[in-house]
Amino acid sequence: MNHKTVKEKLDFVKKDKLFLSAGGILFLLITGFIFYDYITPEWKDIQSEFSDIIAEKFGDERAATIRTGLQQTYVKELNVADRCITCHQAMEWKGMENIENPFRTHPKEILEKHPINKFGCTPCHGGQSFATETEAAHGFTEHWEEPLLGKELSDFYVVNNKKAMMQIRCNACHRYEKETKGADAINRAKQLVNEKGCRACHVINGRGGTVGPDLTYEGEKSAEQYNYERNKGFASMFSWHIAHFKNPKELIPETVMPNFNFSSNDAQALAALVMSWKKPTMPIEYIPGHNFRDVPSQEEIEKEERMKNGPGAFFVNKQCFVCHSVSSFGVEAAAQIGPDLALAVEDVQSRFGRTLDDFLMKPTGTMDVVLSTMLPLTKEERLEAIAKLRQAYELKKTELKTAKTRQK
Amino acid sequence: MQILEQTKKIYKQLLWTWNPGSDKEAGDAIVKNVMLHWFPNKVSKGSLSWMYSMYLGTISFVLFMILVGTGLVLMFLYVPSVERAYSSVKDIEFVVSFGWLLRSMHRISAHLMVAVVFLHMVRVFLTGAYKNGKAVGSNRPLNWIIGISMLLLTLLLSFTGYLLPWDQLAYWAITVGTNIASSAPLVGEQIRFFLLGGNYIDQNALIRFYVLHVFFLPVLVLLLFLWHMWRIRKDGGLAVVDNEALTQKPEKVEPVKTKTYSLLGITNGTSVHVQNTMVNEEINSVPSIPNLTRRIWLVTLGTFLVVLVLSFIFTAPLEEPANPTVTPNPAKAPWYFLWLQEIVTDTTLNLGFYTINGALIGGIILPTLLIALAVWWPYRDPSGINAVGVWLAPERKKQNYVFIGICVVIIIFTIIGTFLRGPYWNFYLPWEAWPTMPVKY
Repeated sequence: MNHKTVKEKLDFVKKDKLFLSAGGILFLLITGFIFYDYITPEWKDIQSEFSDIIAEKFGDERAATIRTGLQQTYVKELNVADRCITCHQAMEWKGMENIENPFRTHPKEILEKHPINKFGCTPCHGGQSFATETEAAHGFTEHWEEPLLGKELSDFYVVNNKKAMMQIRCNACHRYEKETKGADAINRAKQLVNEKGCRACHVINGRGGTVGPDLTYEGEKSAEQYNYERNKGFASMFSWHIAHFKNPKELIPETVMPNFNFSSNDAQALAALVMSWKKPTMPIEYIPGHNFRDVPSQEEIEKEERMKNGPGAFFVNKQCFVCHSVSSFGVEAAAQIGPDLALAVEDVQSRFGRTLDDFLMKPTGTMDVVLSTMLPLTKEERLEAIAKLRQAYELKKTELKTAKTRQK
Repeated sequence: MQILEQTKKIYKQLLWTWNPGSDKEAGDAIVKNVMLHWFPNKVSKGSLSWMYSMYLGTISFVLFMILVGTGLVLMFLYVPSVERAYSSVKDIEFVVSFGWLLRSMHRISAHLMVAVVFLHMVRVFLTGAYKNGKAVGSNRPLNWIIGISMLLLTLLLSFTGYLLPWDQLAYWAITVGTNIASSAPLVGEQIRFFLLGGNYIDQNALIRFYVLHVFFLPVLVLLLFLWHMWRIRKDGGLAVVDNEALTQKPEKVEPVKTKTYSLLGITNGTSVHVQNTMVNEEINSVPSIPNLTRRIWLVTLGTFLVVLVLSFIFTAPLEEPANPTVTPNPAKAPWYFLWLQEIVTDTTLNLGFYTINGALIGGIILPTLLIALAVWWPYRDPSGINAVGVWLAPERKKQNYVFIGICVVIIIFTIIGTFLRGPYWNFYLPWEAWPTMPVKY
């Protein structure tokens, strides 16, 4: 064997081994770094800071009750899993009201009507529910369109009413209310919509004129759907609306929308209102004042009134009419399951071989079950029923006689 | 004793689907087993050389294995439904342990695989490695065609994976891609319908792409890969081996010590033919184990490290959830199709009343022609045996120039489409800022 070749061979083997070792070490280092990064997330620092504050204020025992690790509020109905409470741990703690965020207690009054387990966080506040890092969670990041509607954004747009931005979210559910407690900016905007007669030209919530575009779901539009050529300053949908409310012609020269000379506050409130007009995605019970119900016809309403106030009122109020008609009193059974009670005096005798009085006092079969569980009647009420049924029978008999005579 | 024999028999039946009847049968089974014959017993130094193959095929396979590994884990976490896909990817990013890394590695490997498989094809062409050597039964043009098929499958794999996150990037890249497919003459609309499982990109398209992405295409790539590797062995190894055999000069060999048998008995010494010359292939080759296997580990580790580091630098983006009513500006196909999108826009021309259909030219005719040319060329290549397994053989100068020309055009158009096309597909030089796109707040 050639000696030179052997040496060459050894050379490349040595190099390969060297690179393999170096690569192996680099691999270990990178793996180590990844693990370090994994065990030291931002939220762990925040959680331990919170724990320290609680320990100092309320003692170690209470600090020990704080949950650690990633936390989330899952609201199936709204399809959100908000991880905000991983850092904002004091939400329902008492005594943290005056501490800076993220450790401040949530204002109590609003939580009574909007419990966290039913509403989550982002449906009201905005932000990115998936995220577990501050910047991304607050939604001030690329490719997230619904940032936290808080102080940062209010400051950016110089919104005078600091709570106005968040009310955009309130109105997602409260859009059909004329006035919502606590949502003063939106209330003011709704008032302006009525005062200035916006509906003369625009359809809003299914009502209005057709001169201008339908605004019912204006908030659903994307930012790209507006023309920013004449919009000075920051190109955002919100600023476009503000500028447009202040002077429509400045943004759209050919528009016929009049200039209402809105103040900055009003223009901001209106922009917030328009941005809030989104298609509802929440279940219907989340929308106060919603109008989804079966509307009875005039005829049905009159009939109901007649039955309630007529001579058969007793049988309507005591729910007997669910199964039985009392034809001579004009009571019509909703489900017509049982026999007409107008003939009860005869009927009971032929069916059970007992008098009506006897049967109603000591019923058997279905009526026993009904009267002992679903529709319990006192002795007095039973006597009243018997008396009324006799009355109904008399009426029925007369009716039948008259009918026979007519036939003849 | 009988029980022991019985147990042994059952044990064997459980583990072995086939029991060789004789030693020969057992031997044949090993000889025929493709899994045991990835590597030859000995490998030539030319085959081992970094400069010759650049290990691009090996790197492609390693990338594929990274994709399979990360992909299998991602399959447990991803939900292929229109309602849940986006949020499941968000959860992978934020709450799954190392989820961001898995996804990032999966994406980077996919991009790299497209690039590396393409470069592998370039290498094979420029070294004339698709040409048959002297080995009996060699059919390298067939292996070249298998390779081209795998390149196309790689593109399809990446393309089907593109839709899965169900964000704006995914939705609109698939819109552009499938619209180009629909410009094929006669059957265009049917192709689009077939790809999407309907007329719109919705749940049907998502589940179709998902099943293709996680099962059919990877299995097909794996089968073709086995065939590809098996053919390399059948074709006599890498093409460089043929070249080595040709260029090796007979060398003087030391006199061989032999025993001479004569009537006088056994005497030590040399035989009559003392000086000898011969081609000794053994000199230029080394045992595959451990030399080649070590090399493969090195390439695997290197590829893994590059993927890992790139995953840190370029974390996988996730745009806004897919929204059919909002077209991002610009709407771009996946980067490896951008040269086609660029050609599509450049060839869409209005000449008076007549409109030239750019999608048909750039999206259908041109790629079909290129694929057909690639498949046909190995059979047409007039160069001789000396051009096999050599980088830029002078004999293949002209065709290499044409090939490089085509590749350069593809790369340039890809770069233009990727980096220099901004909103409204307007041209922006690298130092020119794109107009900022408006936001909600």
